[in-house]
Amino acid sequence: MTAVVPSMTDVVAPPSGSSRFKRPRRRRMSRARIVFILITLGLPFAFYSLFVLWPFVQAFIYSLTNWGGFSDTFEFVGLANYKALLHDDIFLKAVRNNLLLALVVPFVTIVLSLALATMVTVGGSSTGAVRGLDRSSLYRIVSFFPYTIPAIVIGLIWSQMFDPSSGLVNGLLTGIGLDRFESFAWLGEVSTAMPVTMFVIIWGFVGFYMVLFIAAIKGIPSELYDAARVDGAGRVRMTMMVTLPMVRDTIQTAYIYLGILALDAFVYMAALNASGGPQNSTLTMTQDLFNTAFKKGQFGLASAMGVFLAATTLTFAAVVFTINRLTRGRDR
Amino acid sequence: MDPRGMQVGRRTILQLAFAGGLAVPALSLAGCATGGGGSDSSSTAAGGSKSDKNPFGMADKSTVEAVIFNGGYGFDYVTFAAGVVQKEQAGSKVTVKPSTQIAQELQPRFVGGNPPDLIDNSGANAIGLNTIADQLEDLSDVFAAKNLEGTTIKDTLYPGVEAPGTINGKLVAINYVQTVYALWYSASLFEANGWTPPKTWDEAIQLGGKAKAQKKFLFLWGKEAATYYQTLAIASAIKEGGDEVRLALENLKPSCWSLAPVQGVLKAMETIVKNGYMKPGGGGTQFTAAQAQWSNDQAALLYPSGSWIENEMKSQTKADFKMTGAPEPSLTASAKMPYTALHSAAGEPFVVPSKAKNAAGGKEILRAMLSKEAATNFAKTKLSPTIVKGTVPEDGFGSTALKSQGAMLSGAGSDVFTWNFVDVYGMNQDQLVPWNAFLSGQIDAAGLTKQLQSITDKVANDASVKKVEVK
Repeated sequence: MTAVVPSMTDVVAPPSGSSRFKRPRRRRMSRARIVFILITLGLPFAFYSLFVLWPFVQAFIYSLTNWGGFSDTFEFVGLANYKALLHDDIFLKAVRNNLLLALVVPFVTIVLSLALATMVTVGGSSTGAVRGLDRSSLYRIVSFFPYTIPAIVIGLIWSQMFDPSSGLVNGLLTGIGLDRFESFAWLGEVSTAMPVTMFVIIWGFVGFYMVLFIAAIKGIPSELYDAARVDGAGRVRMTMMVTLPMVRDTIQTAYIYLGILALDAFVYMAALNASGGPQNSTLTMTQDLFNTAFKKGQFGLASAMGVFLAATTLTFAAVVFTINRLTRGRDR
Repeated sequence: MDPRGMQVGRRTILQLAFAGGLAVPALSLAGCATGGGGSDSSSTAAGGSKSDKNPFGMADKSTVEAVIFNGGYGFDYVTFAAGVVQKEQAGSKVTVKPSTQIAQELQPRFVGGNPPDLIDNSGANAIGLNTIADQLEDLSDVFAAKNLEGTTIKDTLYPGVEAPGTINGKLVAINYVQTVYALWYSASLFEANGWTPPKTWDEAIQLGGKAKAQKKFLFLWGKEAATYYQTLAIASAIKEGGDEVRLALENLKPSCWSLAPVQGVLKAMETIVKNGYMKPGGGGTQFTAAQAQWSNDQAALLYPSGSWIENEMKSQTKADFKMTGAPEPSLTASAKMPYTALHSAAGEPFVVPSKAKNAAGGKEILRAMLSKEAATNFAKTKLSPTIVKGTVPEDGFGSTALKSQGAMLSGAGSDVFTWNFVDVYGMNQDQLVPWNAFLSGQIDAAGLTKQLQSITDKVANDASVKKVEVK
């Protein structure tokens, strides 16, 4: 861009008036500056409006209609779609499943990855400098591995692992003499489908969050650990009193990321139980939305589900922030 | 507020905005644009003069676009017909595109008013026919036209082939493949053990006992195909109760699932599940993997399916399996239809959208497909008959399954029936849930009945769903 050349003359302040209270000095913007702003702010905002905000508004508008999705005609039906959702037992089941995912998946993932991160950074020998376990870099690589595999592949691999007749899991279990796992459908029983699904999601993410927490823990000044150790703190106490408070913001970010993932979870569900699992026990809102739109041809209702999902996601984020605020206390 | 608080607040806002940004894809998934609604001008390229050689007036040297579901039958058979069209209508150009996501791929084109000229609306992601029925051409003129050999197409077809594609009196879809629904088994395995396919549910239960003695199961299922057992149950119940059962289900009547014939069949199935004749674990098994356990491992004796099963499992069928079909079992001796009555329907619905640029071209492809050459090509390469009669020779091109289809069809005579309510209202997805639970023994016949009825009632009571009355 030839226009983006700073021109110094325009930065000179205009002559000041005689008034004692000078107005804040206002620089007249040069052409170059305007172009610069347009490109760095205007262009992204235009794209954002077109591809993010506008679909957002559109989805909301469609959620008020009876649009079937395959014609350009529809009627406005007010809030009828939302009312229908509140009485739709399958959708409500999906909402409950999503909330369960949003409660369990982030919590377990963060606890596990934080524990692993602690082990490889400060959990090592208690003599000498604070350090991680021996060969910690190997553990780090191994546990990061699942994250390098695309979600859909993770789902497909595990659905084969849990295959009742020829899967590795049942093969191992029956191999060590547990005959009741002969042809046991891990993903087909109400009692196990959801836990197994959660396990797969958590398996895929622990490594990534471990690396995230390692970075956060490495940022903590080691004097703090040294001081704590001089004061006689053990590993658990150091984790609770030093590590946790220092990586709090990272945990919050991780919680929100994982929560949003759990509220979506579409890819994992599509690979593990595309039809919603036994008795809909792993059906998620995104799956129900997809079915309603493309299989039942009710795009209006599906849009209402989308709006509901967005509202749930925002509420989730707000709840996490509020809890973090409240537990942090106001004393600092 | 202290500066530190300010700082946190701003970061909070940024993070919230970020979270919002991630929530948005969920919304935009649902918010596809309806903008750019096209003009209403239909068949803009129509301009050719009509004749027996060009009965729909396809414009000279025009282009035709077909989007074909690329599933069990592939799409090369339409490419074959497209070649015939290009030869017959010199200078025309036909493009055939495969797709496995018919609804997702074509939804924006229907909204935008520029759909393709011919669609094979099939597969798991097909568009609910009821949803687009208003936007489709009436195809009765294809049946009325003469085929490439000069015979009126209607006279060359099996009877009743127009039924599945007729919605409220309008022929919106031509179902091309004649599908026979049956219980499939390995003739060689049955012969070696002296078994015969069960003609009643009692015989089926007995056979289950014999199978168990050999450490085999009577049936097995896969999670995406649990409703194949619903198809089996409905067919058997219709044989027992006749039109009374069929119409109650088709018209989504209250307590249609509680009718005595339906209950009788469900009870028999419940016994099979309870006796352990159903291979456990189907609820967690991918359906083609499950089918391979039947066709390759021979872990189970029988599998209820449509006649696509042979083609679908071609590469995973044991040598000398001799796949053969038998009609669904009857319930009692006083059944309204004989044992030989058959659930058979034309499948693979081809539709021509009214707003297509070259609707006449779309119909011309159909005409080519329904002619002797293309229909025989299909039967031979896919080992399935089309709705065109007399394309399968006596030996079924060496396929036992195809041969048994011919035998079953001729044995049934005019006792051929089908139903559409599951597809018309897109209920399969919801019905899979109770069927998986029932087949794995989590719920009994009463529980299954209750859940199926509530799925049916939900559609029946939903004023926003257009109903198709079946008489």
